[in-house]
Amino acid sequence: MNKAKKLLYSQKIAPYVFVLPFILSLLIFWLYPLVTGITMSFQDVTFGGKAWIGTAHYAKLAGDKFFKIAVLNSVEYMALTLLLMVPIPMLLAVLMESRLTKARGVWKVIMYVPALTSVVISGLLFRLMFSEGVNGQMNVIMAAFGKPAQAWLKSKGTGWCALLLLCVWRWTGVNMLYYVAGLKAIDTSLYESGDIDGANGWQKFRYITIPLLKPTTVYVITISVFAGLSMFLESFMIWNGNSSPKNIGLTIVGYLYKRGIEKNDMGYACAVGVILMVIALAINFAQLLATGTFSLKKKKGE
Amino acid sequence: MAKNTSTPNQKTMAANHKVGTAVATGLFAFLCAFIAFPLVCGLLGSFRDGQKVITTGMSLDLHSPVSLQNYRELFAKFAPSGMTDDVILNSQKYFMWYKNSLILTLTTVVLTLLVCYFIAYGLTMYKYKLQGFLFFMVIATMSVPFEILMLPLYQEITTLGIINTNAGVILPGLCAAGTIFFFKQYMTSLPKELLDAGRVDGCTEYGIAVKIMMPITKPAFASQAIMCAMGSWNNMLWPMLVYRDTNKFTLQIGLNTLLTPYGNNYNLLIAGSMFGILPILVIYLIFNRYLVEGMTSGAVKG
Amino acid sequence: MKKKWLTMLLAASMVASMGTSVAFAEEETEGPSAVTTVGPDEGTHFELWSFVDLHNNFYANMVNEWNEANPDKQVQITFSTYPYGEMHNKLMMSLQAGSGAPDICDIEIGQFPNYIGDDCPLYPLTDAMAPYADTMVEARMNVYSKADGTRIGVPTHVGAFVMYWNAAIFEEYGLDYKSVKTWDDYTALGEQLKEASNGEVFLTSVDTGGVDWMSLAMAEYGEDWTGGPDGEPNVQLDSVQKMLTMQQEWLNNGIAMISTDGHTDTDGCRATILDGKIASFPKAMWYMSRFKDYMPDEAGKWDITTCPVFEDGQKCSFGAGGTGTVVTNQCENPELAAEWLTWAKCSEAGQRHIWNDLGFDVCNTAFWSDEEFAYDESNIYNTYFRVKPYEVLNQLAEADAIGTVYTTTISPTINDYMCTTALNEILEDGRDVAEVLQEAQDVVDMEM
Repeated sequence: MNKAKKLLYSQKIAPYVFVLPFILSLLIFWLYPLVTGITMSFQDVTFGGKAWIGTAHYAKLAGDKFFKIAVLNSVEYMALTLLLMVPIPMLLAVLMESRLTKARGVWKVIMYVPALTSVVISGLLFRLMFSEGVNGQMNVIMAAFGKPAQAWLKSKGTGWCALLLLCVWRWTGVNMLYYVAGLKAIDTSLYESGDIDGANGWQKFRYITIPLLKPTTVYVITISVFAGLSMFLESFMIWNGNSSPKNIGLTIVGYLYKRGIEKNDMGYACAVGVILMVIALAINFAQLLATGTFSLKKKKGE
Repeated sequence: MAKNTSTPNQKTMAANHKVGTAVATGLFAFLCAFIAFPLVCGLLGSFRDGQKVITTGMSLDLHSPVSLQNYRELFAKFAPSGMTDDVILNSQKYFMWYKNSLILTLTTVVLTLLVCYFIAYGLTMYKYKLQGFLFFMVIATMSVPFEILMLPLYQEITTLGIINTNAGVILPGLCAAGTIFFFKQYMTSLPKELLDAGRVDGCTEYGIAVKIMMPITKPAFASQAIMCAMGSWNNMLWPMLVYRDTNKFTLQIGLNTLLTPYGNNYNLLIAGSMFGILPILVIYLIFNRYLVEGMTSGAVKG
Repeated sequence: MKKKWLTMLLAASMVASMGTSVAFAEEETEGPSAVTTVGPDEGTHFELWSFVDLHNNFYANMVNEWNEANPDKQVQITFSTYPYGEMHNKLMMSLQAGSGAPDICDIEIGQFPNYIGDDCPLYPLTDAMAPYADTMVEARMNVYSKADGTRIGVPTHVGAFVMYWNAAIFEEYGLDYKSVKTWDDYTALGEQLKEASNGEVFLTSVDTGGVDWMSLAMAEYGEDWTGGPDGEPNVQLDSVQKMLTMQQEWLNNGIAMISTDGHTDTDGCRATILDGKIASFPKAMWYMSRFKDYMPDEAGKWDITTCPVFEDGQKCSFGAGGTGTVVTNQCENPELAAEWLTWAKCSEAGQRHIWNDLGFDVCNTAFWSDEEFAYDESNIYNTYFRVKPYEVLNQLAEADAIGTVYTTTISPTINDYMCTTALNEILEDGRDVAEVLQEAQDVVDMEM
């Protein structure tokens, strides 16, 4: 009894006690459903049960026109959000931390606020602002310029404006704060030695700030890649449902939803999910390799 | 960063600085106005006829009349005189959802933070065999779309008998990978000598984790409290599947039941949505000063 | 120092707001209380899900009336209202998981094809519906049946497709809409209206986000793009091409506009209707309740007639939209559930509530010509419109003019492609009708 207690309190066993909840949760709430989900992608799932059909779902996916649209939309959305959500917040953070900006605290507090609203509420706000009705904000602006009201959400160009604006609106502040935090970790003596070497502002930014912000950039990119690829609710709220004109708002997860839930084909939906997982892992893996951040061991050593 | 230290002429420098300050501060003021805009539109909209806002769109319309009617209907439960039964019923429902959301969010935040803290502690403070692998799994869980796990997870929750309970909502997300990752990165920077000092003083391994390390991890707790509360308060998909009892619905589910063409509940929807942002905003304003501090030594260290 | 105070103030206010909302929520307040469980505890217990709160109020009434009339077969039902999408989502998951499903559930017609296969997880209702079947509208019962004819859902309404006219507008311009019999007449009226109003008022609005117009055309020609229960799906039908070509011409000539937000049952389009921008539109009878709920001030301005036809003698209506209520295979006492459900939705008592409380055109034709049932002035719809709605229904019944449009497993695919892509390309972009329909057919063929 006493021995058992002693063992429990030993340094050898203690770490396992600490991580036990994680191991349990991993097995029960992640691994088991994941394996079931992947298995289902090889099955025909009906109310009656499941029947093996091999790779038929994947063969069908290869020729599925709408899946192609969904993948292209998701990848395009991811690429555009990366283009917007990495450089802009970085520059803003640098500007924010420069001595030039006054009342920083206030700006920081305000810029984070959009992230606190749920997608449901913020999506609703944006849909109403981009409404076809004459009272929608965008049409009020058009009217001020003497232009007729537009159906903003019916074509891809203007519809995606709303979609990307929603993303920029919600996440610029958050990403900026990540960069602000990253900047604070940079040793100021580096800039001082830069001054001594006669570097100008741009050179210091290019050769000191950007390289030293790399860990932050990698973190932001990793998160954005997955968030971009798995975007669904934003599109769902902007177009008030999973159907958008000419499928301009159809994403991979939206298609998964459409197949699995709206058309009751869970097996096919799981195949879509598996492909999404593969794409996300591949892009993130490539990105981490390219930036040289991959080796986890090295990371821990730091 | 000072961009103008290399300018020789002191006077020009000062002038440059002034212009720079004006430009930078102006830019942030403009950005914050842009960010506040949809929320202000929404807030003003909540004082107008909900029907009109939903049908014709939303804008920063300063001319049309505002009234407290929506909020009077929202709070009808507390001042029922002159209200129809439907309005009072809706108001009762709203505050029931609100209460459920508050309880669920509080429980989730407290449990998640504690559990994730201990897991991260176990992953960081000791050296043992599975450590690297477990950390890799933390990252891996972040990159699987929830939708593929949804059906198997639902079946599992049903089998475990925790469907329609708070446990069913909370347990699968308890070991949140993001939170563990964040705590782990934070703790990596803490001095390990404290552990040995604690051991010398006769503390057990668990005593050290609670009495010595937890207090100095406070900033990480604060910044994760915001993230976690935000996620829980705004989460809808999973709670929707778990709860069967209308009396257990959360605010997000409830507001979505109002977003239908059946019955005319838009006044409540729009006022309720705005009022629903409040708790999370309050939590944010309390903890926001820890946010950057927590981030600085946390996740972005890579 | 100041900051600390602020923090404490905020913390205090948060605690206070949480405290009060919790405290108040626990407290028994006076006045009405939300009903979630109805019926005595000793009654047989069922769980019922819906996505419309009003439906649950209706069912609650029916539980009370049933218990009064059947002391030996008391029931107790717990009601839940979920958001539309989530309810169907949850129902499907729980049926697939084999547990967690409700005993009784509303299913929207668009979702029904998911349940009509051989592995149908629903309890057959053919026997329970037998006492009412003779007088029920056949087309409506067929919609909620499996391919082999087993009835699995109880209909709520006919949803007869009719034409709504803003009579006040036509009076203002001195135009006669009552003599319109064919689509040619309708188009001519549109030209007159355009001229009279200087193009300010459109005759109608056409849908890019709904297929009702197509269904109407198919019903008129007796065609069906799903191919019915045994046929092959084919979207390149004459009726569909005629309708779309006609709509394209209307748009080109400035007679019609495209429905705001896609179709007439959206908030945006209701605003267009309220603004008097469109003078008429075809929609199901249940749209009357939208008038009552969202356009109370329009009372007295609107008229209802049967829809125009392409050629004399054609049918001019079909049952549009709707909700079928089912008993699931997870119900422990399905006979009683089915008996109560069919009684609630098909008996005289039920039909009265459906017409008076929900404002729907009831499925049991036995009551259509019943003076006291159909034409009672205390029913708001009998005074709101310039015609008593059942007069129009009886006209349709006399001419046997309500056609059947089937909902099969291919329907979601066709509807989805039409609403997202085909209709937008034809009506918004003005693409060639035959070309777009060929592409639609390719999509449908791929899915088969």
